Amino acid sequence: MARLNDDAQWIILMAFIISFSLFFLAIILNQSTVVGQTTSEAVSEFPKEDIRGVRNMVIQWNFLNDTYMNDKKNVQNDIKALALSRQDAAVDFSFTKDSTGNYTFVKIHYNNGVSAYNENWTFPS
Amino acid sequence: MVNSEGQLFTIEGIAAALILLVTVYLVMNATSIYTAGDTHINDMQLEVIGSDALKMMNTPVVGANMSPLVTIVQNDDGAAFYTIFNNTLNNRTGSQSDKIQFMANVSYVRQDGTVNTTPLNSSRPIYGGEHAVHISQWIITENRQYPDCFAYPNYCKTKHAALVEVLLWRD
Repeated sequence: MARLNDDAQWIILMAFIISFSLFFLAIILNQSTVVGQTTSEAVSEFPKEDIRGVRNMVIQWNFLNDTYMNDKKNVQNDIKALALSRQDAAVDFSFTKDSTGNYTFVKIHYNNGVSAYNENWTFPS
Repeated sequence: MVNSEGQLFTIEGIAAALILLVTVYLVMNATSIYTAGDTHINDMQLEVIGSDALKMMNTPVVGANMSPLVTIVQNDDGAAFYTIFNNTLNNRTGSQSDKIQFMANVSYVRQDGTVNTTPLNSSRPIYGGEHAVHISQWIITENRQYPDCFAYPNYCKTKHAALVEVLLWRD
């Protein structure tokens, strides 16, 4: 049998190495744009300030006086209407007293179709 | 018979290829590539500056008094809003001020349950090419002085929620 000629081994190996490196570089460059896109979408879609704002308003609302001019009912309706029309979010909240009367529980619900937030805020009164 | 002289060369070649790949991977990982999606970082900075400014304006100067923002909205005082908000946004240490532009609106619920939005003030009109971010601040108003209140004075005297919404951008 004739002796196998191995003269071109180096050339073939280098060709392999270079083509693999190029392939890998292309994948990395391709992924980098996708990574920036998805993180920015995730960051901008989460309504952090909206949820904080609604929560802050619900807590203020809890201390309003309902006997005078229906303040509590009016403000509750306003918050729900404004959140729905200006922030595309369904908001609902209500308060209950526990049986001893020492604690107030305020249930806060926020949902804009992508992110939901629920909280049971407890206040000693 | 098959000759095995090239075996060592092949193993060496594979090892070299792996080393090259690992090096490229490490180098690419260490370099940050600014993509189009990264513009959200600038937007977030603008959002933080703006919502901090609105929060400051919504903080009472003394204890349980009304905050400047509530007073401004109740009296529909666009000039005062411009002065305070513009100073908070654009004043910097040194002589040159920042150049953040804004447009502010107030949204509130009318007596019939519909939501109305009225302009408060703006640093310049918006033409459509601006890349603006949106921030907002909730307030509770009492005795609001708006044109639509003349028809329903009792409704506006009571407490109501309102939403101050601001668009911010840099030219």
